[in-house]
Amino acid sequence: MTGKTSIKIDYSRCGDEVGVDPRSCGKCLRACDPAIFLLHETLGAVEENPFDPQKWRITPLWPDLCFRCMKCVESCPERAVSVRWKPAGGN
Amino acid sequence: MCDLCMKHGAGGKWYLNAEHYSNRIAERYNLRDFLLEQYKNFEQISIRKFRGFNAVGLGYKLRMPIIGRIVKHTAEKLLHSTNPPTNPFRPEGHIGQVVPLEDAVAILETCAAEPIIEKNCMCRYMSRGIKEACCINFGVMSEIVDKLPRFIPEKDKYHLTRRQAVERFTEHNKKGYIGSIWFGPFPYINNLCSCASPECAGIRPRLDYGIKSIYKSEYIVDPDPDKCTGCRACVSVCQFKAIGYDHALKRITLDYKKCFGCGVCRHACKQEALFLKPRDEVHGLGKNY
Repeated sequence: MTGKTSIKIDYSRCGDEVGVDPRSCGKCLRACDPAIFLLHETLGAVEENPFDPQKWRITPLWPDLCFRCMKCVESCPERAVSVRWKPAGGN
Repeated sequence: MCDLCMKHGAGGKWYLNAEHYSNRIAERYNLRDFLLEQYKNFEQISIRKFRGFNAVGLGYKLRMPIIGRIVKHTAEKLLHSTNPPTNPFRPEGHIGQVVPLEDAVAILETCAAEPIIEKNCMCRYMSRGIKEACCINFGVMSEIVDKLPRFIPEKDKYHLTRRQAVERFTEHNKKGYIGSIWFGPFPYINNLCSCASPECAGIRPRLDYGIKSIYKSEYIVDPDPDKCTGCRACVSVCQFKAIGYDHALKRITLDYKKCFGCGVCRHACKQEALFLKPRDEVHGLGKNY
């Protein structure tokens, strides 16, 4: 595949900051056949009970394995996922 | 015998050396605190930076000249580390090996330290958001999971007897999940997983990026060409895509380089045409673990 795939999650639409819990949604996690997304506790978040973290986010961990099928974009109810790449032949 | 067996197997296989499961080792390295700290935020491990790098977009980083080779070398060194564990936020000394059903049963029956539990698989949780109880833990690790509610299976009773653990593992193995045993951290063994690709965070680096995060098993599949009827039931259960079908021969063919020797294809074969044999009996494979 030519060029780098850049997958971004808009944390102003999804994640602990705006109160959208990816643990109860998780649609992009399950829509992705190569499983490139990671569900994780927000880095540096202050938790009330550190043994039962409540602040979670999703990070596109392995974008180089993405086939640009756009299923994650279609499945996201918050329209928070974007997948971009440079067209072939570009720099 | 792989390198781990030579160094830590006491004359046998490393994972059948009961020393590695003992509470004595857990206490020597204070692993109760270390593992609790590690599993509190386990899902963050691949996004935390180590020497300026984390695993995000690893494939692109590995393709960079020179830097790519340094990243790969550093990652392997970290995973294969045999130094006393120091930093719970890194996967230090977290190296595993594929084990077939027979060896996993031997581990559960004779080596694994009590208490034995079954917990939700963290790989499936962090990559799919799904809680599936299929990881078997021993010793100190079992006590830690008691404190972390997201790993505790909701419906099932999760403290198991040895016999129940064998039953549960057999059930997962027959479903097509790959058995794997892990140092975490070296030299303590506390995890017998039932993995699936691409969810497994241990198999992904090896298959997609060539980083030796998990060794192939001590065995390899040995197909009997006379018994194979070419039904192809085994082809789809192989998670390593090692089994192909030859239309001219009307039987399956094995890719010896790709076979990890997990043995789950045997459960799919109705003709009993698939067997396991020790990997070092195949002369051309050399030290291919």
